[in-house]
Amino acid sequence: MAALFLRHAGRQYLRAHLSPQLVIRNAVPMGTTAKEEMERFWNKNTSSNRPLSPHITIYSWSLPMAMSICHRGTGMALSAGVSLFGLSALLLPGNFEGHLDLVKALCLAPALIHTAKFGLAFPLMYHIWNGIRHLIWDLGKGLKIPQLYQSGVVVLVLTVLSSAGLAAM
Amino acid sequence: MAVLLRLSVLSRAQGGRALFLRAPVVRPALVSAFLQDQPMPGWCGMQHIHLSPSRYSDSKAASLHWTGERVVSVLLLGLIPAAYLNPCSAIDYSLAATLTLHSHWGLGQVVTDYVHGAATQKAAKAGILALSALTFAGLCYFNYHDVGICKAVAMLWKL
Repeated sequence: MAALFLRHAGRQYLRAHLSPQLVIRNAVPMGTTAKEEMERFWNKNTSSNRPLSPHITIYSWSLPMAMSICHRGTGMALSAGVSLFGLSALLLPGNFEGHLDLVKALCLAPALIHTAKFGLAFPLMYHIWNGIRHLIWDLGKGLKIPQLYQSGVVVLVLTVLSSAGLAAM
Repeated sequence: MAVLLRLSVLSRAQGGRALFLRAPVVRPALVSAFLQDQPMPGWCGMQHIHLSPSRYSDSKAASLHWTGERVVSVLLLGLIPAAYLNPCSAIDYSLAATLTLHSHWGLGQVVTDYVHGAATQKAAKAGILALSALTFAGLCYFNYHDVGICKAVAMLWKL
């Protein structure tokens, strides 16, 4: 029995030296990429038609969680705004000054204009301050749970203050 | 376990050189690789193991992409006060480029997170690319034929 085993192990050992591949006993090394594995997971997942477990409907919301999705939400909204601006420049007739005159002709109340400026500045400021927070995390700093909440509150305060400041300008 | 005992006997007999270098690989439970199913304790059989040592996946594309994203973010962060303090044509075009690239990569991450399946993801990414390209073209057109981004923001804010 031992002799049989020694012969087999010896063959493995020899194969390990002759072939450059990793030799795992009785296993096949597979060089799949992460993308292929993900694809395989999703195919198996969707074809088995399993019901989705409740997740965001039942999980208790935390400040970092809410701020994270708001970062994504503001990012998408700002992207949409920039794209709208760029596409309008290509597609709409007239120039920017003409469009501004159109808005001026509406004679909107100053309070409304002030509110609109605040509404524009708020998502931008939130995304900027929270973005800085993200970059600090990328440096590996401030990742402890209490620090997450502290930095989150700082971002919120800064957002409100800077948006108010910008709207007043 | 018996497998390992016999192997150690063999390697001791052979002066125990290269086999022990491979020892971590032969002990399946300790392999830090992606395993499809968790092996049961005392298990000793066939297992498909995906390993990605550097010689299999040399692509640093994802890592470089990540770094690129951070670099563009920092660039954009710097451009904003610069645009306020020193509005000019160079800043207009730099803003157009960094803004569209930052949003393109950001939207790409959203697609990667929520859109599954190779075909739909490819289509979504193509759509994003078209949108980003058109946005960049639009912003450059605005910078060239109209007042430019910095002046436009100033004019808007004077309303």
